[in-house]
Amino acid sequence: MNWLKHKYKVAKAVAIVTYKEWSAYRTHSMVSILVGPVYFVIQYFIWKAVFGGNDEVISETVINGMTFEQMLRYYGAATLINYLIMDFADWNLQMLIRTGKFLTFSLRPIHHRFFAFSQKLGHRVLGFLFEFVPCFIILHFIFGVNMVPERIGYTIISVALAFLMNFYVNYCLGMTAFYFVQSSGIRQVYQAIAGICSGTLIPLVFFPDIVQKLLFFMPFQYVTYIPICVYSGEYSLGGISMEIPQIIGIQAIAVVIIFIFSEILYRNAIKKYISVGG
Amino acid sequence: MKKYLKINKEAIRVAISSAAAYRADFLLSMIITLLSNVLYPLVTILVYRTGASYDGWNMYEVLLIQAVFTMSSGISSMFFESIVWSTMRDVQNGTLEIILIKPVNCMVYLIVSGFNVYSIGVVIGGIIMFAISIIKLGFPSPDMWIVSLIFFAMGILVMLAMQLLMAATSFKWVANSRIPEMYESVMSFGKYPQSIFNKVVVGLTTFIIPVAMIGFFPAAALLGKVQWYMYLAIIPCILFLCLGVAVYHYNVRLYEGVGG
Repeated sequence: MNWLKHKYKVAKAVAIVTYKEWSAYRTHSMVSILVGPVYFVIQYFIWKAVFGGNDEVISETVINGMTFEQMLRYYGAATLINYLIMDFADWNLQMLIRTGKFLTFSLRPIHHRFFAFSQKLGHRVLGFLFEFVPCFIILHFIFGVNMVPERIGYTIISVALAFLMNFYVNYCLGMTAFYFVQSSGIRQVYQAIAGICSGTLIPLVFFPDIVQKLLFFMPFQYVTYIPICVYSGEYSLGGISMEIPQIIGIQAIAVVIIFIFSEILYRNAIKKYISVGG
Repeated sequence: MKKYLKINKEAIRVAISSAAAYRADFLLSMIITLLSNVLYPLVTILVYRTGASYDGWNMYEVLLIQAVFTMSSGISSMFFESIVWSTMRDVQNGTLEIILIKPVNCMVYLIVSGFNVYSIGVVIGGIIMFAISIIKLGFPSPDMWIVSLIFFAMGILVMLAMQLLMAATSFKWVANSRIPEMYESVMSFGKYPQSIFNKVVVGLTTFIIPVAMIGFFPAAALLGKVQWYMYLAIIPCILFLCLGVAVYHYNVRLYEGVGG
């Protein structure tokens, strides 16, 4: 119990400091208030054209099991959820390793991963206040897209799991710097593939069937696609439809797997670590 | 003018030789940029797989627009982008004075003194996409090419103006690395056929912020879908560049340095 209390105190302290540090740059986060809605407007016009252009046709057309209304909600949810789960743990960790600053962390009585996680918590509170809330207001009240989740409780759980998933995946990517020192190539490749496969640009049901099935075994859909589906209350991929609690269960298993993987990778990688002057 | 061309030549030489020093890294980055360029049009291909279309435009027509856009942004980032990052860095560090005391025009100097080798990957990606689409669509006639080239050149001017505005913004919004993201979101309107947008957006993207000139107009010219107002849009393109130049110079004048 005392251990947990201590952890909580550490996480809170780090999160608050990170929040204060970054709130000096809060206007940088607020760039999203312009960027998010502009991309949403573009998506609106694209899909309006794809669904047939005029209002009568649109209301009758269904593409890949999605109506125009659902499509707009999908992109709205994708925009908003990204503000809640985004992080750059990979960049941060590889920078610490490459410059040798990681040494100071290996001397501290705290696991660096926990430290980085607490930083993310603080950073995303800022994201919630200056990106999520304003964009929610714009999408919901000004654009008139119903952005209230279908089932709020499940959505919160799924977003929380995606928050963890994204963190562990990025942390693993950052850890590749233990082996290669310069990990920007691997990270760029991952980000390029994730851009398409996480479902932010296009719903994953648009992919060829075989790719959809493969996506079950890759980390991408657990980061963005599942929370978006939970948000809209329906999940299907590769011809498999699932109940919401069921898919959240699978998402939780994915998080556990990536957690174990990151732990194994960390224990292995730390042996490789030679710091500057260490 | 000759002086600046000389500086530019030198900058290109230095950039290429420094890329040659890290050959493996350079090749890998090129392949990655090429790949991410292939991934983007994938969205268009996936949409068309379902049998749907962008308001009657066929897939290769849309890909052609996006290819032209990609080439334009590749070229502009190769030659002009450095002004954004150097202005951002110099304003943050207070080192812009060093350039201001040189016997050159600060804006022109910052443009010509940088060259981004890595954008070659973007240009190549664009050319490949462009070639595939043109082969599938049939070869346009020479006069279509000429009109398209004129539009393309105008689109490059719009791109340059955008870079200048980004750089100018970084005088006021210090050290915000997300400034380009902001302008890029607006430029995305040039990646799609204009007929999918409503009249307000068409008006805005043709005459106020002429981003349609970057991708859509040159492609439309090649497809034989030129309309009279597209020629008219050349005027706002030139005005937009003048605006970019004026705003940048205005901000340089206001720049006070940090007494360093």
